[in-house]
Amino acid sequence: MDYFGMLEEKTKELYAIAREARKQGKDLELEPEIPLAKDLAERVEGLVGPEGVAKRIKELEKSMSREEVAFQIAKEIATKDDVEGQPNDYEVQEANADSAIRTALAILTEGVVAAPLEGIAKVKIKDNSDGTKCFGVYFAGPIRSAGGTAAALAVLLGDYIRMSQGLDRYKPTDDEIERYVEEVELYESEVTNLQYSPTPDEVRLAIRGIPVEVTGEQTDPVEVQNRDLPRVETNNLRGGALLAVAEGVIQKSRKIVKYAKTLKIDGWDWLEYFTAPKSTKEEEKKKEESSENKPKKKAKYMEDIIGGRPVMSYPGAKGGFRLRYGRTRDSGLASMAIHPATMEIVEFLAIGTQMKIEKPGKGNCVVPCDSIEGPIVKLKNGDVIQVNDVSKAISIRRDVNEIIFLGDMLVAFGEYLRGNIPLDVSAWCEEWWAQEIEASEYFKETHDTFGIDFNENMELNALLKLDIDAKKAFDIAKKTNTPLHPKFTFYYNDVTKEELNDLHNYLYSLIDSPEDVFKSDMNRIPIDYHKRIIEVLGIPHHVNNKSLIMSNDNLYTLMSVLNKSLSPDEDMETIEAVNMISPVSIKSKAPTYIGGRVGRPEKTKERLMKPAPHSLFPIGNYAGNIRNIVEAAKKGTIKVTLAKCKCTNPDCKVSSFKALCPVCGSRTELESSAAKNIKLDKLLMDAFENVNVRRLDEVKGVKGLISEDKYPEPLEKGILRARNDVFTYRDGTIRHDSTDLPLTHFIPREVGVPYEKILEMGYTEDIYGKPITNDNQIIEIKIQDIVVSESCGDYLLKVSKFIDDLLIRYYHMEPFYNAENRVDLVGHLIAGLAPHTSAGVLGRIVGFTKASCCYAHPYFHSAKRRNCDSDEDAVMLLLDALLNFGKTYLPSTRGGSMDAPLVLSIRIDPEEIDDESHNIDCMKRIPLEIYHKTEEGGVKPSDVNDLVDNVESRLGTDNQYHGLMYSHPTSSIHAGPKICLYKTLQTMTDKVESQIALAELLRAVDQKGVVEGVLNSHFLPDMAGNIRAFSRQKVRCTKCGAKYRRIPLSGECTCGNNLILSISKGSVLKYLDISKDLSHRYPINPYVVERIEILETGINSLFESDKSKQSSLDAFF
Amino acid sequence: MSNDIIKKFQKAQLLLNNNAYAEIKGNSDYDYLINELIEYIEENENDQYIITTQTIRNYQEQEKRRIHESIIENPKTREIRSKQETPYEVILDVTNKSYTDGDINDLNKYFNSRYDKLKKIIQENPEFKKINELKTTKTNIDNLQVIGMINNINNTKNGHRIIEIEDPTGTGSVIILNDNEDLINSSQTLVKDEVIGVSGSTNGTLIRADEIVHPGIQRHKIIDKDMNFSIVFISDVHIGSKQFDEDSFNRFIKWLNGNYGNQEQQDLANDVKYLVIGGDLVDGIGIYPNQEKELKIKDIYEQYAEAARLLGDITDIPIILSPGNHDATRLAEPQPALTEKYAKDLCNQKNIEMVSNPSVVNLDNIKVQIYHGRSFDDIVMALNNYTHADTDKIMQLLLEKRHLAPIYGERTPLASEFEDYLVIDDIPDVLHTGHVHINSHTKYKGVHMLNSGTFQKQTEFQKIYNIVPTCAQVPVLNHGTLQLLDFTKE
Repeated sequence: MDYFGMLEEKTKELYAIAREARKQGKDLELEPEIPLAKDLAERVEGLVGPEGVAKRIKELEKSMSREEVAFQIAKEIATKDDVEGQPNDYEVQEANADSAIRTALAILTEGVVAAPLEGIAKVKIKDNSDGTKCFGVYFAGPIRSAGGTAAALAVLLGDYIRMSQGLDRYKPTDDEIERYVEEVELYESEVTNLQYSPTPDEVRLAIRGIPVEVTGEQTDPVEVQNRDLPRVETNNLRGGALLAVAEGVIQKSRKIVKYAKTLKIDGWDWLEYFTAPKSTKEEEKKKEESSENKPKKKAKYMEDIIGGRPVMSYPGAKGGFRLRYGRTRDSGLASMAIHPATMEIVEFLAIGTQMKIEKPGKGNCVVPCDSIEGPIVKLKNGDVIQVNDVSKAISIRRDVNEIIFLGDMLVAFGEYLRGNIPLDVSAWCEEWWAQEIEASEYFKETHDTFGIDFNENMELNALLKLDIDAKKAFDIAKKTNTPLHPKFTFYYNDVTKEELNDLHNYLYSLIDSPEDVFKSDMNRIPIDYHKRIIEVLGIPHHVNNKSLIMSNDNLYTLMSVLNKSLSPDEDMETIEAVNMISPVSIKSKAPTYIGGRVGRPEKTKERLMKPAPHSLFPIGNYAGNIRNIVEAAKKGTIKVTLAKCKCTNPDCKVSSFKALCPVCGSRTELESSAAKNIKLDKLLMDAFENVNVRRLDEVKGVKGLISEDKYPEPLEKGILRARNDVFTYRDGTIRHDSTDLPLTHFIPREVGVPYEKILEMGYTEDIYGKPITNDNQIIEIKIQDIVVSESCGDYLLKVSKFIDDLLIRYYHMEPFYNAENRVDLVGHLIAGLAPHTSAGVLGRIVGFTKASCCYAHPYFHSAKRRNCDSDEDAVMLLLDALLNFGKTYLPSTRGGSMDAPLVLSIRIDPEEIDDESHNIDCMKRIPLEIYHKTEEGGVKPSDVNDLVDNVESRLGTDNQYHGLMYSHPTSSIHAGPKICLYKTLQTMTDKVESQIALAELLRAVDQKGVVEGVLNSHFLPDMAGNIRAFSRQKVRCTKCGAKYRRIPLSGECTCGNNLILSISKGSVLKYLDISKDLSHRYPINPYVVERIEILETGINSLFESDKSKQSSLDAFF
Repeated sequence: MSNDIIKKFQKAQLLLNNNAYAEIKGNSDYDYLINELIEYIEENENDQYIITTQTIRNYQEQEKRRIHESIIENPKTREIRSKQETPYEVILDVTNKSYTDGDINDLNKYFNSRYDKLKKIIQENPEFKKINELKTTKTNIDNLQVIGMINNINNTKNGHRIIEIEDPTGTGSVIILNDNEDLINSSQTLVKDEVIGVSGSTNGTLIRADEIVHPGIQRHKIIDKDMNFSIVFISDVHIGSKQFDEDSFNRFIKWLNGNYGNQEQQDLANDVKYLVIGGDLVDGIGIYPNQEKELKIKDIYEQYAEAARLLGDITDIPIILSPGNHDATRLAEPQPALTEKYAKDLCNQKNIEMVSNPSVVNLDNIKVQIYHGRSFDDIVMALNNYTHADTDKIMQLLLEKRHLAPIYGERTPLASEFEDYLVIDDIPDVLHTGHVHINSHTKYKGVHMLNSGTFQKQTEFQKIYNIVPTCAQVPVLNHGTLQLLDFTKE
């Protein structure tokens, strides 16, 4: 059976179990509540309906693009006759339009995100002042999750539907237009910045131009001045509508114009105002930028420097991360590899830690790769070493005096392709060198092995092991007329010509010629300021008895290359000058440095609500803030708001809150909810008895239910969760969250699973096509298989025990998992689900990682609409979701159905998922042409895309599922730290101290700048914000949690309890001491120092009574 | 970037040599420097076409000179002032009276003080001598008087208005029925956290309001006093800002010293006995994000030193100086006066009296209430049809509410002092405010209400919001009538 068949079979098996359990009627629904969907069409139908639409989508897909399908479907639904042959009344038209826009939007967003459900509140047919009818689309906050393009297309869809229903265009009044203008400003000043802030005139133009009313429900409790307009229902901000206008229609105007043209929708030409002039303006601007000297290096990531999240390198700073092209088996999709030794030395980077970077994107997640170069560090004793293994890194990291180079950052071509960022010049590295040799005339003719077994198409690991010394390197370079091997290429570009001349003179004053180097086994070079030049050149050396010793090979190389003084021409770069005198061609070793800072730390943790419940059963405040049902039960009877379920048996008709009538056992029907007294003690005792569990001390419930129906979970489920120490999320499922990381290949041993088990799962061969016969083979992962963290595995093991308990004790069925340890979970199915989406993706556990993350095929993450720059999402055991997920538990508020598995995609079709995953590199080697293209400067990746092998070129063929090779091997996907220092250090003081200590070590970072950055972008705004908030704060009751905008005159809560401040003195004071301390210790900008002083003045005045100041003075005198 | 610099000078038909270029490029704020230099050369060295470091030195020298240019007092003015007496008394100043520790109990004391003070004022109205406690209003009462602080204001679908009020005993919901048009209209200007009196009836759940009263001002208590001198009011000078209108301010000082303007204006100057400054004398630092870019003087100490140099030319009339939200004192109101720590030279200047915000001073029998005006932001946000330009309307409201910053929890930070100093205990003769940068002056029930505008030109921020400040227009209270002097033009 093929892989997808296997998954489907297994899913059906779980479905059957869940169906059997649900049939017993103990849950509100008799069927599992998560419909299965094999493809986009089915997902759309599962998510928004209407029934039968999947079939129609599939028909249309044969001949149309996705967008065309969406609009066609919209038109068909919008014009469907309610009664054949008769015109629809407004009510039906509205219902049709509602369904049409949601379905079409779901198609456009791949049937994954919640926007079609949550982002559009409703649609309405409204009146224009001239008596015509127009059409209003009501946007809600969650439209954000759809992204700007989809939001804009939703507006275009609205227009299309309007026209197909024959309605007139929206004719805004002047007041309405000004209302939008005001709202945009108010939104930006009171709520948050828009990605694109339109000017008032742009807003006016847009509102006049858009043929449908883009309105919405209130999103923020901020009132406008322009109130009580007859057609606008709310006087508060309409955040959803503003997003749709500003970040949608205006920001994505070019796309809208394009779609409107292809779909032949008239009336959008006015948008060209936004597209035409701006594009020329922007181009002009770009031209100006490129024609003038390089603009000030100011990278976005440097704009906010946060306490405890160190800057690793300034933008483009020497000694930062060296750009190396390639992909290892755990990188791509915005994750980029660095050497695990680098992670160990800086300690603030662990596997899965997010970095904000200078380019090619804004952020990434770091993963380990040990076939690239590690850091070069200077030790306290003066030694300079390159650290290429983790244990060495750990053993020397306390002795590090300076991190001269951070090492490589391995960036896939696809990362540049994603944003079509012009390619930066590649590092000079072994894999490039080898291809230069292979391409040389000499090699083509002779196939010389150079006495070192050089060969065509060698793997990187073999290349790195080549037994090459300096003389051979020069020999090969001369014979083949290629640049000198990277091992003997130093960082010439990081030093000046004068420095090299100095060094030349110095070395030649000690040793007569390069050949003379080998006369001695060890050439001592007396230490003086020249040592610094050697350090910056990146040449490892030892310090012994006031002299410096480098390898003879390196010394020979240095003297051979620097055989005379360099040209004094001012305009010539160092590397050019070096090439003028060098006997062989020398490449720039690190032409591109990438700057970055630490972003969000990695994460893998069970999902806990606050406070975390075992059961969605309400107990109000009867057990205080602990919400322990056992404790509340001691009160006997409690009063809580619950659903009313009426027995369907006509002879009984008893009301309860259970799916089965407690009196006669018949099914019940939901009616409205109400506050009622329940005998919790009795209920709990019965529940314990029902599942045959001896009393537990703690079973946690919730304060109140937030769902519409207020139907509580059966207490039994909570008891069994408590028994197994697992907690539920608000929809009844149990989740575990991890940072997403990609994985295309794994080794059975590293994921902790014996190869026999891997074979059982349908794997047959390793990447070399050999049968799997041991634990150490490299195997390409199947696209829906995932490697979860060990912590996740352990938690899911507990969940599996809960499920087995539930099956045995509650549903009286056979246990399913029978898992004793986490390896027993291998091969079991899970559902992956990302926040802001409503479609789970089926996955299968294939192993475990020590890292704090979830490794899975890039397709799997993309199917959830995630990439790997520190997105995190949840996994749950599929059977748990099928048994326990209930739509009835979902909050009735806006956004309630986000992050809920409303439908399950059981099969990933690479063509249907987010196209970011289509940029994944599949190459064993970066082609030589690409290296050469990077040297040209400014080459757009899209122009050379045909030279590379990536997913895009494989789409639609069988090759999209396998053969996704990597270029850089790594011995382990979890080498390096598993938890970054940010998480292990407890206090902010410690974090900042370590951050500043690290800044001191890093050559690519200015320590003073970091201190100022932390103060300016973190501590000062935090303090200023808190002190302002302190003087206008709310108060809150410690017991019942009630909040008061202003403290009541009585001074106490209506419940009689004490009130406390919602913003404590501590939160105002927390960064004051450390800020003052930093401002004294470092020579920072006086402006910053004075700001701290003024804040302190304000804080003291608020927290210190003038009386106590006086009395302390009195005591003094 | 580099071409940028050269281009800018080229446009002004200027060249610059290498050293000057390097110096300009090295300046962290070179855009500003370039404009200043060009302006300087146009005005002073218009025969120059190459800028050297010497040119830059000359510019800097002249900057210094200009700042130090002392504005000598007219001998006649000096003579008049040497003879006249300028008695004054500080009636309310909260400086060194901040007793709060920031505890929740203090917060409670603060609002109870507000309630008690305003209740007392309302009870001067005989109708409210006897009042019902709110906790006693849960039964049917036909005729009741209550005094409460507003918690919340809501409008119902049917057009009724419901106002939730509280006193120390409990809460009550006051309904204004939609058919009571007058009351519905007059209650438009109610805001959260003010204290009102309500008379009406209750059915046990809702109090039906027949009348709502504010602490208010009783006109008959105000007597127009004789005044045989003049007081000058300024605020929002924003020294240190790039937009500080230094030229106009210098003209103002010249005028005050008797050396500027026509005879009539000079006579007016000679009549001045007091100068009152209502906050934001300097632009401050760190007041809003990226303020640094808008500052000419980026050092708070320097800003006050500069202020002292400018005000130092006024030597023989008392200057009453109250802080605003840009000043270096705590932001929460009431704001204590500026201290020696930041404003050493100002504190040492003998004729300057540092007071808090708010404060009350008696200037030779004219009682002036000074309040910077931060709370205007809240009023504008809370009420329909009020803009920042409507300070006269807003001040009128505040006087009726007898509170300078009634709304809690919005823009205006309030310190939880034991006594609410923002209550207007006594009706002043003059209410002096600033903050909005737009002049206004009216007389309401015998009280001169004035806003003293600004000496800061329109900022980028104001440009965006189309706020046009009334720069360098100075109100003078002259023998009981208001005059406005304009210092914008030579």
